[in-house]
Amino acid sequence: MSIRITQGMLYSRAYTDVQRGLFRYSQLQQEVATGRRVNRPSDDPAAALRILPLRNDLRDLEQLSGNVSLARETLDTSTASLEDASALMQRVRELTTQAANGTLSNSDRQSIGAEVEQLLSQLVGIGNSRRGDRYLFGGTENGDAPFELVEDGGGTRVVYRGNRESLEIDVAPGVSTALNVPGDAILQARDRAATTFTPAYGSSATGALPVGFGDTGLGFGRLDITFAGLHTDAPSTVTAGGGATTALGALAFQFTTGPDTLSVGGGPAIGLPVTDGTFTTADGRTISLTVTGVPAVTSGTFTARAGLSTDGGQTVVDIDDFSAGSVQVGNGYDGTVLNVDVRTLARTGAEEVKFQGTFDAFTTLVALRDLLQNENQLPDQTVRDRIAEMLTEVDGAHDAVLDGLRELGFRSSSMDVLKNRVEGLRVSRTESLSLVQDTDIAESILEMQRQDLSYQAALQISARVIQTSLQGFLR
Amino acid sequence: MSFGFGLGSGLRALNAARLGMQTAGNNVANANTPGYSRQRVDLAAALPYGIAGNLQIGTGVDIRGITRLVDDGLERRLQLQLGLVGAAELDQARYREIESIFGEPDEGLSNSFKDLFGAVDQLRTDPGDRALRGGLVQAGNSLAQGFRLVSSRLEDLSGSTFDEVRGLVRQVNERANAIANLNGQIIAAEANGSDANDLRDVRSQHVKELGKLLDARTIERGSGSLDVLVGGNLLVAGDRASALNTGKDADGGTQVTVGNTRSNAVISEGRIAALLEQERAGVPGLTSRIDDLARSTILEWNRLHTTGMPASGPFRTLTAAYGAEDGDGDGQRGDELLSQSGFLFPVENGELHIAVTNTETGAMQRTRIAIDPGAMSLNDLAAEINGIDHLTASVDPTGRLRISADDDYGFDFSPRLDPNPDGAGTFGGINPSIGSTATGPYDLSGQTFPVSFTVTTGTASAPTVSTVTLAANEFVDPANATVEELVAAINADLGSAGTAREVGGRLVLQSAQGGRTSQLALANAGAGTALAALGLTTTTAVGRNNAVAIAVEGAYTGTGNERFTFEPESDGTVGQTTDLRVRVLDSAGNLVTTLSVGRGYEPGQPIPLGNGIKVSFGPGDISATAGQVFALDALADSDTADLLVATGMNAFFLGSSAADIAVNPELLGNPDRLAAGLGAAEGDAGNLTRIVDLRKMDLDDLDTNTIEDFYADIVGDIGFETAAATSALQAQTQLLSQLEADREAVSGVNIDEEMVDMVRYQQSYEAAARFLAVAQEMTDTLINLGR
Repeated sequence: MSIRITQGMLYSRAYTDVQRGLFRYSQLQQEVATGRRVNRPSDDPAAALRILPLRNDLRDLEQLSGNVSLARETLDTSTASLEDASALMQRVRELTTQAANGTLSNSDRQSIGAEVEQLLSQLVGIGNSRRGDRYLFGGTENGDAPFELVEDGGGTRVVYRGNRESLEIDVAPGVSTALNVPGDAILQARDRAATTFTPAYGSSATGALPVGFGDTGLGFGRLDITFAGLHTDAPSTVTAGGGATTALGALAFQFTTGPDTLSVGGGPAIGLPVTDGTFTTADGRTISLTVTGVPAVTSGTFTARAGLSTDGGQTVVDIDDFSAGSVQVGNGYDGTVLNVDVRTLARTGAEEVKFQGTFDAFTTLVALRDLLQNENQLPDQTVRDRIAEMLTEVDGAHDAVLDGLRELGFRSSSMDVLKNRVEGLRVSRTESLSLVQDTDIAESILEMQRQDLSYQAALQISARVIQTSLQGFLR
Repeated sequence: MSFGFGLGSGLRALNAARLGMQTAGNNVANANTPGYSRQRVDLAAALPYGIAGNLQIGTGVDIRGITRLVDDGLERRLQLQLGLVGAAELDQARYREIESIFGEPDEGLSNSFKDLFGAVDQLRTDPGDRALRGGLVQAGNSLAQGFRLVSSRLEDLSGSTFDEVRGLVRQVNERANAIANLNGQIIAAEANGSDANDLRDVRSQHVKELGKLLDARTIERGSGSLDVLVGGNLLVAGDRASALNTGKDADGGTQVTVGNTRSNAVISEGRIAALLEQERAGVPGLTSRIDDLARSTILEWNRLHTTGMPASGPFRTLTAAYGAEDGDGDGQRGDELLSQSGFLFPVENGELHIAVTNTETGAMQRTRIAIDPGAMSLNDLAAEINGIDHLTASVDPTGRLRISADDDYGFDFSPRLDPNPDGAGTFGGINPSIGSTATGPYDLSGQTFPVSFTVTTGTASAPTVSTVTLAANEFVDPANATVEELVAAINADLGSAGTAREVGGRLVLQSAQGGRTSQLALANAGAGTALAALGLTTTTAVGRNNAVAIAVEGAYTGTGNERFTFEPESDGTVGQTTDLRVRVLDSAGNLVTTLSVGRGYEPGQPIPLGNGIKVSFGPGDISATAGQVFALDALADSDTADLLVATGMNAFFLGSSAADIAVNPELLGNPDRLAAGLGAAEGDAGNLTRIVDLRKMDLDDLDTNTIEDFYADIVGDIGFETAAATSALQAQTQLLSQLEADREAVSGVNIDEEMVDMVRYQQSYEAAARFLAVAQEMTDTLINLGR
């Protein structure tokens, strides 16, 4: 039996055909209009699974690309600041060379000193450079100025308030870089080395100078040797005096009462109280002391104590055993340690100490300024010699800045490479994503035309078939 | 030959032609009626009768009946197919809706996750920036809203099932009633042998509609009645129909029962079955996966956030977001065990580290609290925190834990390294100390209790002698005297002269007086040898004016929590004594490394310890003889107990599922509360770095997937299922149209055919009429013969 065809079949076939054509047509229209092949996960579930991670990758790469630019920008800003610092150090070098010239008078040097002072505060300003409202050289403590110029018991110092943490950001997949160089590593770079100071009794070169003399200079360190009282608590009012012959050491102090006298190191007893009294020891050393308020009943033998400090009295190391050999004196501000051989420690006063290693820019500038202003009235020749020697330190400090610049330059140039890499990855990811999710417009339009054609054909044929009926012919 | 002969057969022919015309007309009229089967007049030659011997003559046409042209097997297949198509249609619509709920790949949660982690990356470039902090909090908020939206729309979808099923069941009942009525009419109509064609058509149309909704099986009885079975239950029997009812089962799921027996109707096909299956497995499966995702996100994110440091630095005061429940109904909150306090996330067996920082000096003191949720209540915990210097903790009437610090102090839970771990100064400190050379517990079983030793403090010229007496009742097990027990016992006797404390698991005694003249000497009193048993030296220790400065920098990169103990290998001066070394031991007492701090070491230089930690030692004397020691906590996770997550202290997200996830409102109002760092420095991004790592982390709770991969899997599955449902629908529809075409071929009306029939019947009517006219003429002729 051949299959019967009814009008109903024709109609429903026409429906189906037209519907199918329209559906495919609208699908293509959406693909072309949105430019996307996958508008819902069900359009191509496998593609949808790939689209999400690809988009995440792309978003990451956009972030990385931004980060690279940011890093580049920040590093370049830092570089510009350090270039200023380098130029400044160059100027310091010129000034130092100029100041070492024998023809300059004290007042000429004073004016150079004023410029150095200027440069010092400029350098602090450079250390406090900002990008936006973030300080560049403060580590992760970047909300407040990292460097501060302070004048206190330790003299003129620059204090670093930042930290050594780095601001790491990702700049490429699996690669991170520090946005910053901690300022203390550059402007306070100091190559520390164990330093032992051996005072020589009687020697003008290493012996103690009178207080107020030579408390600055080439050493970048000052050892204050103070008379720290006596071994026990009483008498507490003995103070060390000034004067060229102030001496200190393993001395026996003997108080007697009725009459109140003090004999030092076996020397003759002198009546108390005394002001700037000169005591002579049995071995001929003289010591200048002011002794007041000794209780009448005090008597006995005491050992003298020396107070050693390299930070202007913030941290004081008491010595009463002068046979101990090397004693460590720490600096409470910058943590430097000076080993002092106390066996030859004889006098109170201030000693210049040459620390081993190189010194940082701030300390160098402060020392240079003090030397130029020569508040301690050093002889001309001494000042000139010392200024000449300062050149090494200036160069050393400059080198540290240059090291910082090199480091920044290296990082900054590697950003170029990374930028290219990230951009390359971004392009390839965009392509992969496009391959997965985007419409091939040309193909879609061709397909649309084909669909258009078949849709029209379906319409025409349906119209033709539906019209045809026997009815029309039976008149 | 009778008169009536010709007229009778002519009349039958006329009738047959008229019926044929009528049937064709009916067919044409119903050409577009759904379910209509074309009808045909069955004609047969009427019985002939014999005349004159063995001749038979026909008596015209006999109308046998009017029959529907139906293929019953095809109808049954069609009905089955309608059920499949109904289910497929519903499935497809549901999945399309679910797909649009998720809104991927353009507007869904994947974008929210991307934005959130993007905001973290962005903030890392400048952790102090308020706008970026706000951006991160807002991104978190968008994610939370996205989760809640998906959850509530899935909930709506699930909740609408009941109403939809009820509506469909009402349709089923109407159809069943209609079928029962039709059965009655058909039985009555066909009792006299005729065919109730049109009634049957209507009835089979009802059955088909039923088939779209559920798996109805039909049995035709001899009477022409059609019984309908649903899941083994009789829905229609003859002219009686029982009703289906919609209800809820014990789990709140929709349930369909039959008649008054309320027995469960097992529906396995059709729309209703698809709806029930969606409700049972489809939507809840998705909801639970989304909930898992939200829960893991909250847990992992909060684990990191709760142990981070906000921009404002250590907390002055902090209140938990969640209170303990009053499980035993005694009106008291906080007295239940932590495991029974009804927290959204369980408190684990672990430890919590609290750091108290002096905001003036920056000095930090860290305390470890061991937490056993099966043996500790929130009140117990508050009491332990209360015991920490400068902290106050309480449980408020709503069961929330509240911690606050004294003025000039702050607390935090950050795992950062203590920059000055020797806070007590038991390692080259100003006050003389003597520490045990061994870790506790100590074996005092050889001692005859009470056993005493003297502690000489003060200076050599003005000594203070205290006597410490250890009694047996001060120890649970004298063979295992713990450091805690010893500390309590010794401190009770020592008064203000000195302090006993635990440092790195060791017992350490320290004089209250410091300075170079101060001293600390221990001596056994009487016959006891307690000092030897405790590993304490009898050599006098002296104090100093300047402590050995110990500084730690860096960030611990190890994976587990560790406590490093540092002890000098010998006596000497840092930076001076030849071969002076410091030994570093881990929690188990194993040697980690040895640090050279003697000659050649520049005091203050950081020495790397490994795992990102650097330690530096300042100038000064250290002593192995005196048992000097300090401990450094290196924490990977400062809250292994998840206590902060459970109580919601310093939490980023609140809630525990997709339905209730929300960003902590305190953060929304104040992005400074965002814990971006681990330390207090403005540019510290330590915690953000941990969060970035979280993005790449495969989480056990998410079947070892990352958060985003787990979500992508959900989206992929929805995509696959929707695509599968769509193609299933297409295939089923295709099959249906095939079957419908087949049915149409058998039962459909072809108007052309009917036209042909009409012309045929018209002609035969005309011919029959003509025959009658001839017969009449013949009769007339006969009648006229007799005139």
